[in-house]
Amino acid sequence: MPSERLRRSGGGYYDYPVLRRPVWTWEIPLYFWLGGMAAGAYVTASLAQTVGSAEDRRVVADGYYLAAGAIVPCAPLLIADLGRPERFHHMLRIFKPLSPMNLGAWALAGFTPLALARAASHAADTGLLRGPLRALAQLVPRRLLELSGSILGLTLAGYSGVLLGATNVPLWAKSKLLGGVFMASAMSSGSAGVTLAAARRGAPETTLHRLATLDSAASLGEIAVLTGYLVQSGKAARPLTTGRFSAPFWLGAIGAGTLLPLLLHRLARRRHGHMLEFLSTVAAVCSMAGSLALRWSVFEAGKVSAEDQGASFDLSRG
Amino acid sequence: MIDAYKRLMNIEEPPAAKTAKGFFTDTSLCIGCKACEVACKQWNQLPADGFAMTGNSYDNTGSLGATTWRHVQFIEQATANGTGQEQRWLMMSDVCKHCANAACLEACPTGALVRTEYGTVYVQQDICNGCGFCIPACPFGVIDRTPKDGHFEAGTAHKCTLCYDRLKDDMTPACAKSCPTASIQFGDVEELRARARRRLGELQARGESKARLYGMAEGPEAAEVGPLHAFFLLLDEPETYNLPEVPRLPRKTMAERYGWSAAVGVGFALVGALVFGGRR
Repeated sequence: MPSERLRRSGGGYYDYPVLRRPVWTWEIPLYFWLGGMAAGAYVTASLAQTVGSAEDRRVVADGYYLAAGAIVPCAPLLIADLGRPERFHHMLRIFKPLSPMNLGAWALAGFTPLALARAASHAADTGLLRGPLRALAQLVPRRLLELSGSILGLTLAGYSGVLLGATNVPLWAKSKLLGGVFMASAMSSGSAGVTLAAARRGAPETTLHRLATLDSAASLGEIAVLTGYLVQSGKAARPLTTGRFSAPFWLGAIGAGTLLPLLLHRLARRRHGHMLEFLSTVAAVCSMAGSLALRWSVFEAGKVSAEDQGASFDLSRG
Repeated sequence: MIDAYKRLMNIEEPPAAKTAKGFFTDTSLCIGCKACEVACKQWNQLPADGFAMTGNSYDNTGSLGATTWRHVQFIEQATANGTGQEQRWLMMSDVCKHCANAACLEACPTGALVRTEYGTVYVQQDICNGCGFCIPACPFGVIDRTPKDGHFEAGTAHKCTLCYDRLKDDMTPACAKSCPTASIQFGDVEELRARARRRLGELQARGESKARLYGMAEGPEAAEVGPLHAFFLLLDEPETYNLPEVPRLPRKTMAERYGWSAAVGVGFALVGALVFGGRR
């Protein structure tokens, strides 16, 4: 039917997208998840080191192992996604905080050695490291590392949502809260990781209860920011809230990632021993998995959003 | 000391600024011959896009991309007389706008994207590492990355260079040189803007009431990305040509985005301090 091909004034050019589709692949949401979790665990462990009781400090320091383990694959993932991986160091040839991509590369480059050094120092404390390596690791200035690492870690956890938001993709850019959403998810998954480690090694119940309180507060915060994000996004959030990515988003990111851990921690409040450890473990695993579901669904739904001509016009009209 | 460092790092002084150059694309003169597309491909040695029939009028190019730096649109409109018999055929050769505030350039983390001495936006192919951030940053969908496994400059970002190599030799860019109807006009941006205003006046006097300029400093489209160095005379609303009414510059909202992100992070740290330090 030729009449279908006739263009209305102001109706857009056929159904061609206004934007080019982002070329990033699965490495990026995985990196956002791991980097955010590493930062969240590092910040949680450092908070316990700074203001916690002796028991808290001992148990929660395992968070440094988690931070180190999660941060190691981050740089390789980020590099693998580049069009020219052998030129990854070009990110660091200038310092340009105006570009979130540049700021993030610097934050990752700074946070990685700090997280590894602090984990080595913890390994020296627990006797995991022996001999000359132990002596070397004990030289690490812990307080300084905890403070600077937490600042760089918060930057790493906080820039990813800002980076996606600093584009013209309607799902990512319409609301200004995506950076806050990813930050909340990073902190809740990181503190959940610490809870998981603590529950597995049989931590004292007071510490587990404190971690449950922190996890629950983080989940509540995440729900609040996510609600704001969805309300502000309005129609632009449709590729996320309906269609292919609605199941991982509603069931994974919201259900498993925030509501279920809240419920489980609530049930665990008056529990003791193995039951408490079991409930804490399940809640933590759900929260961590939900965080990955959030990054992945927002990331992939963004590609759909980028190809939506009408959504692009709506965004440009404000 | 600094001089020695510059010699060591092979750092050259940037060329002195010259008169800003640009394109004025007058779509009222376009006949849809696609000579610009072909000349661009030839001069810049860009690979063919393959033969795919879109079914959308004579447009089998579809969109700008990593190896398509000029794209001729064919817009078939029914006129308002209601019979549907009479049609208006709008043609427009789209190109990188070389924005005064370029989103791609601001997004670039490596400094590969630069502003040249002619005021144009240029990708340095030896610097770009293909991070891909410029692609969703561009509000016009211009810049793109070549496939990693391709044969042409694999894995880096590409777009119109405004024939930077030709400008260096005082030559007209290939598309403007090949345009048989002067729909694509190349020159000093200031002079082109004056010419565009005169042309708009002529068309309006002849009754082309919907004619407008897109990319001038006074237009709503310049609110964030600034005036365009490659600007257009259109015969209909911008969205008819897939051009956004107000192309957005991500920098404008960045501080607010970081603010929310930081607020959530600080909030978590405060709650954590209360939880671990509170009861003792």
